[in-house]
Amino acid sequence: MAERRDTLKIIGAIGTTCAFPFSSDELYGQQQHEHAAPPQALAVENAKPSFFKDDEFETVRRLAEAIIPGAIAAAVPYYIDMVVNGSAQWKKLFREGLTWLDAQSQSKYAKPFRELQEPNKIELLTPLCAMADRSTKPASQIEVRFFKAFKGMTADGFFTSKIGLVDTLGYRGNTVLSEFPSCEG
Amino acid sequence: MAIKTYDVVIVGSGPSGGTLAAHLAAAGASVAIVEGGPKINTRTDFNTHGMPFDFPNRHIPTMKVGKPGFDSERTRGVGGKSMTWNAVAWRYSERDFQGKTHDGAGENWPFHYKDIEPYYTKIEREVGVCGNRDGLEDLPDGEFLPPVPMKCSDLIVKRGAAKLGVKVIHVRKSTLSRPRAGRPACHFCGNCMAGCDVVAKYNSADVHILPAMKSGRLDVFHDSIVREVMVSNRNRVTGVKYLHRGTKAEGEVLGKTVVVSCACVQSVALLMMSKSRLYPDGLANSSGQLGKHFIPHFTGGVQCFLNELKGKPALNDEGFLDHAYVPSFMHNRKRDYARSFAMQFNYQNRRAVGWARDLPGFGKAYKDSVVERYPAFLTFSPYGEMLPHAKTFLSLDPLAKDAYGLPLARRTVTWSENDMKIFRAMNEWSKEILLAAGAEIHAVGEEPRTNHELGGCRMGADPKTSILNQWCQSHDVKNLFVVDGSVFPSASEKNPTHTMMALAARTADYIANGLKKGEL
Repeated sequence: MAERRDTLKIIGAIGTTCAFPFSSDELYGQQQHEHAAPPQALAVENAKPSFFKDDEFETVRRLAEAIIPGAIAAAVPYYIDMVVNGSAQWKKLFREGLTWLDAQSQSKYAKPFRELQEPNKIELLTPLCAMADRSTKPASQIEVRFFKAFKGMTADGFFTSKIGLVDTLGYRGNTVLSEFPSCEG
Repeated sequence: MAIKTYDVVIVGSGPSGGTLAAHLAAAGASVAIVEGGPKINTRTDFNTHGMPFDFPNRHIPTMKVGKPGFDSERTRGVGGKSMTWNAVAWRYSERDFQGKTHDGAGENWPFHYKDIEPYYTKIEREVGVCGNRDGLEDLPDGEFLPPVPMKCSDLIVKRGAAKLGVKVIHVRKSTLSRPRAGRPACHFCGNCMAGCDVVAKYNSADVHILPAMKSGRLDVFHDSIVREVMVSNRNRVTGVKYLHRGTKAEGEVLGKTVVVSCACVQSVALLMMSKSRLYPDGLANSSGQLGKHFIPHFTGGVQCFLNELKGKPALNDEGFLDHAYVPSFMHNRKRDYARSFAMQFNYQNRRAVGWARDLPGFGKAYKDSVVERYPAFLTFSPYGEMLPHAKTFLSLDPLAKDAYGLPLARRTVTWSENDMKIFRAMNEWSKEILLAAGAEIHAVGEEPRTNHELGGCRMGADPKTSILNQWCQSHDVKNLFVVDGSVFPSASEKNPTHTMMALAARTADYIANGLKKGEL
């Protein structure tokens, strides 16, 4: 399922797949474990990724952090590794995408993406992100498809983490209220 | 040892089957429910209060580890879809039942609002429905518990809609706003559709089936997947054959009457699978109408951010999902299509942030723009009424089989011109209302999607164009009944379950009387 419609999406975090109109648009990770995965934490820092090679994973870490500052602390690279590891199509796209990124970086700055300084990273990613943001249908260029999926997984992984959802967005729900607070007061 | 013959065998245990079973058992009948899924403990088996980060793939599974049920495409489990529904409970109006008389389109129901009105009241008293009495012609009031307050965001939408002359009302739900009959009031955790672990929200397993079992007149055969409704050469159904969900062993449950209530598409599929010498094209299908007139609701959708709430602290307002509703308002306005639509909105769960992917940019500015919009995010989804037409129907897949060797049901949906006119109009109106409320539109659904499944085994006065009479009784086989969404001759734009339950109560009365008089 490498190609997804990227128009309307809602993460299926309410645990249902059919009742609401957008809920069939799922988390990237949802496709990998249709049936109840055991509740366990994602791999913590310094754990070995399942799919990415060491150099690749370093690039994944730098790219995720460039898209959302704080992504590394929220273990987003491991979420991406888990999702990509579950699909042959994702594996292919991500391997090709990371190769493209390094080739691009080498030709412009004579070093791989993972060694770039902040301004160079921004310079390289700005046009790529703009193309990915504009693409509503699956784009033809591999690098655009790769970046769109990478950004999507980074957003999914970050905003469903405790750091992202609770600490950053300030989620306060899922509690027991004796009555629903009126908006008047 | 003689095998027991029940007065009534019901296939399925959802809101229709559960209501029927409880009402028939209360009337003194001996009842068996045959349910394809497992027995569930509502209080312990669902991941009701899960958070996404409790799970490595961030998807909260419906059931806890090792607890079967509700993760299959057929929603199998005692309680059926009532376990994970959102509990919206409308009465259909006279115009919904007699729409053809108003605009010449579709088909009328074989009865009027006044015929089902007492059963709506009965269900409301029995299960508890909260809501406001709004006095609307097209949305009849009932006996309600107090409504739940609207969310701050609802009030913003309400002010915007008012500028266009469109009403926003309190939602009505089969969820308790006050404790009642041993069930607590809702505690607004926002997990209604993940299995309400305190049964503040109605589900048929806890509210109808368990109490009826205590009467000794209801047996539940769970994990029993019905594969055929048996019919004798004397044109009477005699019971059902099933396969055990785990062992696949075959079994039978015998009854004087059989009610098929296993949700719209599966009920139609079961009748189609029940081929016999008398009914080579499917049971009760001498008319050839089975599977036709499939009329699921369809939805559009708009996602937006309310400007007034941007940058504010996030509120603990998941509540019981949607608290407000835009009732159908086009019936009295000029338009170029038949029927209408209504709008459910603001049901988003704030643990769902999928929209963040589609905001532009990256880096700190991108992250900040998500944070700013998070408290302001709102989803709007209008529901349209589909009219029956020849290119939308149900059938059995000629090749594909499930794990039990049973043919899969196939839905063929083709959008008609009328459907598309409604779809465009309801998306347009959604945007207009949101813009009037001061919103940044984020995304608009580009194509209709089916939702509540209805039709395929419709009621009607004419046996040539319908499968059932007004009592949900087969025209062909007098001791066979079907009660669920499949029987609806027209869909309305309103969420259908409350009407299914009223219909189940009405049919239960008819069956109980028929059994007493020896007419079935």
